[in-house]
Amino acid sequence: MHGEYKMPGGKLVVADLEVHAGRLCRVQVSGDFFLEPDGALRAINAALEGASASTDEAGLAFAIQSALPAGVLMYGISPEAIAVAVRRALHEGMQA
Amino acid sequence: MSRSSWGEHDWQLIHHGPQPPALHMALDQVLTDEVAAGRRAPTLRVWEWASPAVVIGRFQSLRNEVDAEAAHRHGIEVVRRISGGGAMFIEPGNTITYSIYAPLSLVEGLSFQESYALMDAWVIEALGELGIEAWYQPLNDIASAAGKIAGAAQMRHAGAVLHHVTMAYDIDAARMLQVLRIGREKLSDKGTASAAKRVDPLRSQTGLPREAVIQRMIDTFRRQHGLRDDALKPEELAQARELATNKFHKHEWTAEVP
Repeated sequence: MHGEYKMPGGKLVVADLEVHAGRLCRVQVSGDFFLEPDGALRAINAALEGASASTDEAGLAFAIQSALPAGVLMYGISPEAIAVAVRRALHEGMQA
Repeated sequence: MSRSSWGEHDWQLIHHGPQPPALHMALDQVLTDEVAAGRRAPTLRVWEWASPAVVIGRFQSLRNEVDAEAAHRHGIEVVRRISGGGAMFIEPGNTITYSIYAPLSLVEGLSFQESYALMDAWVIEALGELGIEAWYQPLNDIASAAGKIAGAAQMRHAGAVLHHVTMAYDIDAARMLQVLRIGREKLSDKGTASAAKRVDPLRSQTGLPREAVIQRMIDTFRRQHGLRDDALKPEELAQARELATNKFHKHEWTAEVP
């Protein structure tokens, strides 16, 4: 499943993922955003892995925010924008 | 730590002959680290490309961004850089690329947006002298009324900031669109139907050869901030060659975000 979201005033956030037994797996967030340190991307993917596919945007954003190490800097991306891309991927997947 | 000004630094210029794409990626990492460690004075490096390339951002998905088969067919190398941002389609004679390696103190206390504006200011001035009214377009573009001129990316690491910029001198839009996958969502807020229209190359605007544009840019930087001619140290080049081979040429790195 694949979802994209151009954050208003920000950059493109992409989510590629699968769903097994109602849970997200093989989650890969990508895009042309800026994130420091770069290892934070792994923390974001890990925060989404195993989440229930019925989690709403706010719940996904909270899960991402909670998993980010202190001091992470985001430019053109936010936990909320990632959550939108993930929900779009899930929505597209359900329609397919 | 308080913020330093451009004039407080002893700026060095590196303008080497053509080098392969992976070596450029490696030089950005090595020289950022060297400035962070205080072994190198703040530096402006102007790139010359030995071959065409697609340079993808640190967090971009390789398969989402690049048609690998088309890139291979056209002999275009795909490399991943250490900074975030978007994919750049590079042809040696069509592109002007440079990096600035500065101590973190230059952007101390500035937001990302403020530090892009600060790092781009001299080139906006240079473009003005070339007759192009350009501005910093948040988040990370340089634009004129006719479209995008350049894309910048910044990375702060340890004690240094890397700010690198790729400018379109000329563009083969048809080939670019064969190799880059530019999605509809990406174009949604740009208000244009064609990715090619989003780019406004310097060649048509200035009527000057690429080398002359580069020289004028260097002159502007030198006048504004001071600039001494320098070269890569043998150990810097050796370290970068080693990194190019063992990191930037490796599929594990290029496909790190598959």
